[in-house]
Amino acid sequence: MTDFLEGFLDDYFAECDEHLTTIRRGLLALEGSVGRQRPDPVVTEELFRAFHSIKGIAGMVEHRESEQLSHEMESYLRAIREGDARLTTPGIEALIEGARSLEHAIAARRQGDTPPDTSRAVTLLRGLLSESTPAGTVHDTAPAGATPSAQWQCVFTPSPALVSRGVTVDLIRTRLRESGEIINASPIIAADGSVAFRFIFAGALDQATVDAWAADGMTCTALQSDDTDKPIAPSPDLVQAAPGATLSTGHYVRVDLARLDELMRMIGDLVILRVRLTDSITRVEPFVPPADRRVIQEHLIAVERQLRDLREGVMRVRLVRVGEIFRRMPFVVRDLARDTGRKVRVVLTGQDTEIDKFLVERMMDPVLHLVRNAVSHGIESLDERIAAGKPPEGTISLSASASGDIVTLEIADDGCGVDTERILARAAQVGLPVPPNPDEAVLLDLISSPGFSTRDDSDRASGRGFGMAIVRTTVQELGGTIRMTSTPGQGTRFSIDLPLTLAITDALIARVGTHTFAMPQTSVREVIEVDAAAVRAIEGGEVTPYRGGALPVVRLSRILNVPVSAMDRLHAFIVGTGAATTGLLVDRILGQREIVVRSIADPLIRVDGVSGATDLGDGRAVLILDAAAIVRRARVRGTGALPAVKEIA
Amino acid sequence: MTGERPDHFILFLVAGTTYALPTKDVAHIEMVEQITRVPNAPAFVDGVVFSRGQVVPAVSLRARFGFERVPRDIKSRLLVVQAAGRSIGLLADECREFLSIPPSTVHPPGESLAGIAARYIAGVATIGDRLIVLLNLDELLNTQDPILAA
Repeated sequence: MTDFLEGFLDDYFAECDEHLTTIRRGLLALEGSVGRQRPDPVVTEELFRAFHSIKGIAGMVEHRESEQLSHEMESYLRAIREGDARLTTPGIEALIEGARSLEHAIAARRQGDTPPDTSRAVTLLRGLLSESTPAGTVHDTAPAGATPSAQWQCVFTPSPALVSRGVTVDLIRTRLRESGEIINASPIIAADGSVAFRFIFAGALDQATVDAWAADGMTCTALQSDDTDKPIAPSPDLVQAAPGATLSTGHYVRVDLARLDELMRMIGDLVILRVRLTDSITRVEPFVPPADRRVIQEHLIAVERQLRDLREGVMRVRLVRVGEIFRRMPFVVRDLARDTGRKVRVVLTGQDTEIDKFLVERMMDPVLHLVRNAVSHGIESLDERIAAGKPPEGTISLSASASGDIVTLEIADDGCGVDTERILARAAQVGLPVPPNPDEAVLLDLISSPGFSTRDDSDRASGRGFGMAIVRTTVQELGGTIRMTSTPGQGTRFSIDLPLTLAITDALIARVGTHTFAMPQTSVREVIEVDAAAVRAIEGGEVTPYRGGALPVVRLSRILNVPVSAMDRLHAFIVGTGAATTGLLVDRILGQREIVVRSIADPLIRVDGVSGATDLGDGRAVLILDAAAIVRRARVRGTGALPAVKEIA
Repeated sequence: MTGERPDHFILFLVAGTTYALPTKDVAHIEMVEQITRVPNAPAFVDGVVFSRGQVVPAVSLRARFGFERVPRDIKSRLLVVQAAGRSIGLLADECREFLSIPPSTVHPPGESLAGIAARYIAGVATIGDRLIVLLNLDELLNTQDPILAA
């Protein structure tokens, strides 16, 4: 089996486990509803979805037993949901039996055992549906000449327009009673969250009546006589939709990310327009009487506030729980720990922290890699742990937390810590430059270098061609940073800081020569003033005094190919951490603003060091710089020997 | 150029020569405002501009065709073209004419045009005593160009 399918199966099992948990919980809850006219619709829906999902993914990995069982259970639940079948004691028993078979089938597939016999459960489940669709009682009280069809499903969708004409549910009910008998009435929730009412109605309706009622928001369809549900007792009283609980299932809308991007783009345009408006108003202000001036200012502030709210509202729609990244990890760890003879437990915290959907998708693989690394390189074997006086079971903690516009993901283990000697030896072996007394940032640099891997490629845990190099690149591409701390014998911790969202960000606006550009604030640790005379050229670059040490600096004028200015006082953005700490020299800092990030998509203008462009209100494109890429570029340009990195820490 | 019906083209001037692109490839035409230079972009790219909320490269057709750049003036236009999912701005000296060009008037580029420049040319149309060069957009936007992309 290929690695690809194997990886996919991991996901399949992980997802099944999750759905099975839902199913076990749901079936327990449903047991209490046996015999009731309508079992809890939320639970029914949840179960239906869980089986539906398993069916889908089982089909993809061609796990036929699982697919068939889920299909049968899904069908029964659909019938219950639609009111076409009643939840009976044999019904719940068949579901429990089916779920048990499903669990066995999935476990057998996971362990490579012979699939269990699922035919008994399938037969039981199939039996339910044939029983629960008996012929309906015909309540034919209609005059001769009407359409002979006896039972109808009439769906009434109320609307303000109808209500204003006096067409309400009560009127519909009266109308139906006059024409026959209401067998069942239930509120239903449409996909868009609106509430409609469904009546199962016995009587005779001719086409003219059906057409006339259609104008009043009623859709009447004749039912095959055996489509209706006999066990449901006639219920002339409308069942009220319980707000909250009942509504929740119908209230999720799947939205294409591209549409949200489009919304975000439009809000971006509004933000820019608002800036232009403010500028114009500032220009005409001297000519406006003070009283009017105040009103204009108030309106302007209100617009700004509402824009911010609107922007945040749309951004919130894009946010999903970090738990989406974490939820598979326990399964990955369990399998991997078993394969490598270790005992590992996974502790998750902060799963409810929210982050942009795009970031979640991009971070899935990097987090997976770090977790696999933690198991295979971090956590020691049972014997080693016992010998070291540690609990035999290792712990991997995954945590997420938000602070301002930054979301931090941490992947920590209580294993042996990074093996500095081994990393240095490996680095020397593959020809990477190693500075003396490397700190953790240097070690992270080394293990994140392309071509660095201390284990064989055949190593199942980490040899998937997805190394630390890609982890770091992905994080940087997303505008984030990664740090590593490690204590020998106590464990390793990776911390990844990511921007909460990508589209709008705070940036520092600076000038270099005649060029204006933006630097995302998330990448700037500090801004310092630099005396131009204090910048000294040393081998391979320039440094300036900083906190009693020497800070490597890069002139942005050089990176941007613009003339070097002759200013006495410069400013530096301090970016990067550890060995990569660098000062980016600029002439002047114009201020801090909220900018709308426009991505640069075309290969003609996609250059290293520029992450996007923004409009500061005058219609001009201002480049947004990518600090990490600039620092990388500057280091490549130099001789590679970085100056005095240790002195800055 | 095999169709029988005349095709609609937008005509524009670059260094005295009239060029044409099919109307369907041109999303819109703009006055040229500020262009922001992008460091380390290909030599024929003047920089980036915002066009309807998108960041598009501004390609100097003069530079692309090997002519001297001239300062932009009030007649300069940016033709924003769409090809293969990309949006790209082409800087022309002037652009003010639409024309239907019957396929029968279009000929393959002559021998004299062979060479690098010929790759950008889809054909040459003769209408009356006017010569109109029909451009091959795909070649024009190719970043893999061994000579000009450097």
